[in-house]
Amino acid sequence: MSGRMPSSNRVAVVGFAQSQVERHAASTLGALAVTTARRAIADAGLGPKDVDGFVTASLFPSAGAHAAVDGVSLVSANWLAAHLGLNPAYAAGFQGFGQLPGAVSLAVNAVVSGAADYVLVHRALHNPKGAYHANPMTEARGEQQWTVPQGYFGPLAMMALTYTEYLERYGAAREAMAAVVVEARKNGSRIPWSYWHTRPISADEYLSQPMVTDPICRLDCDLPVDGVACFVFTSAERARDLPHRPVFVAGYAAGAPIRHRLPLHWPLDDVMDVGMQTARRLWDRSGIGPAEVDLPQVYDGFSPFVYLWMESLSLCPVGEAHRVVLEGGIDSDRRGALPVLSGGGALGNGRMHGVPQMLECYLQLSGRAGERQRPGVSVGVACHSSPHYGGAVVYSAEPF
Amino acid sequence: VSQPGRPLPVPDDRSREFWAAAAAHSLVLACCARCATFSHPPGAVCPHCGSIDPAFEFLPVDGSGSVRSWTVIRQSFLAGFDTPFVLVDVELSAQPDLRLIGRLVDGPDAPLHLGAPVRVTFEDVAPGVSVPAFVLEPVS
Repeated sequence: MSGRMPSSNRVAVVGFAQSQVERHAASTLGALAVTTARRAIADAGLGPKDVDGFVTASLFPSAGAHAAVDGVSLVSANWLAAHLGLNPAYAAGFQGFGQLPGAVSLAVNAVVSGAADYVLVHRALHNPKGAYHANPMTEARGEQQWTVPQGYFGPLAMMALTYTEYLERYGAAREAMAAVVVEARKNGSRIPWSYWHTRPISADEYLSQPMVTDPICRLDCDLPVDGVACFVFTSAERARDLPHRPVFVAGYAAGAPIRHRLPLHWPLDDVMDVGMQTARRLWDRSGIGPAEVDLPQVYDGFSPFVYLWMESLSLCPVGEAHRVVLEGGIDSDRRGALPVLSGGGALGNGRMHGVPQMLECYLQLSGRAGERQRPGVSVGVACHSSPHYGGAVVYSAEPF
Repeated sequence: VSQPGRPLPVPDDRSREFWAAAAAHSLVLACCARCATFSHPPGAVCPHCGSIDPAFEFLPVDGSGSVRSWTVIRQSFLAGFDTPFVLVDVELSAQPDLRLIGRLVDGPDAPLHLGAPVRVTFEDVAPGVSVPAFVLEPVS
């Protein structure tokens, strides 16, 4: 299909809860999810029995040899509903990349279709004990046999190849990426639940970090954490009767790579070709253009994604994001700049997989950002994952 | 170049000929019998013509190519690799956009740039098991 989605602005976010983001939470991830879900439902002015839809993307994003156990290292929609003592009319999990926009799309579709009246979207992320990505495998089977015997494994190497291509093609400097990471940590340092609360860093700290996987250093990567966020969705009509100002979903879009590749092989052209398609789809479906977005929130689970999303969304010309950043163009405290990391992102909060982007859109557009409230914001975009695998959601303060 | 403890490939129906040739230090890749186009890795469906019965033939390819990107692994998440080591993303000259990722045996101090010419070589990692890698072509 093309053109504005019939569901545009017919579904809204009406409440939220965000747990403390910690290296290792005191309770199990499942218990943290139950607590956070109860808080979100209450925040929306509802009771647990009002919620008849549960949606998540439960992926446990570790390449390591850790077991994936429901309620411990991940939390499925069905697990959460069951442990809230509910028998929901609708429960679904989004498979694939762009987990948070994917889950939001399921929630919107469920509300618009009438499959559920009030849908809880949650995202629960776990940091297991021990090294996050280390994997002691001695044999490489299936798809992994094509890359693992060579030593090509895990998301850092994946991102490093894409980032090297960007640096070399556009002559980008590491000083520009220092500005990205400093910006994320500055904004994260102002957020009470962030792991990095009160802990900004300087450009020198970033630039003095040793390489882990050239040109990626530790500070280019978000930190694995325990954390849960929940959002309550319902129809625009029902939202009128609830306590908080609703934030409307104007549209969403996702994409998928079109070229056959080795596992974890993300050439820059693949990322950008599909990223541009996803962005066109996003503007088309939401009825919004990039110039109308005053709160773009780009994904930053690895710092190079900031450039790739800025360029995919046409917030700047292709190849120019590193220059924009270096000139202060994403400084959230500067008038006229693009506040692409005002919510701190993953680098400024911890590995919450697209939650900081979505939460910043919700808090700012509902007027609930407190001391961080930005005046006059009306349209936000929350991105997640890579532009060629992930997706984005346009949020609006008004149902235009 | 042997590094004991590296993860070893487990050949299967789609890869047996690739690994058998690699053991003899020959690079063969899957070519679709329907459209005569290489794809790597070979899958259930030919990504070029869409055939669900690509009847892949493993044909020798010219192991020359150019570097499209690279990284230096300084901390390996896998066991058995001495760090640092270099990985290169190579576009083979056999067919546009036909890509292999492998170690660059020249090591982390080798001068690299986009488009640097390389050719395939092989690392013997266990008895009867060799893995494709790359070496920089001498500057002519």
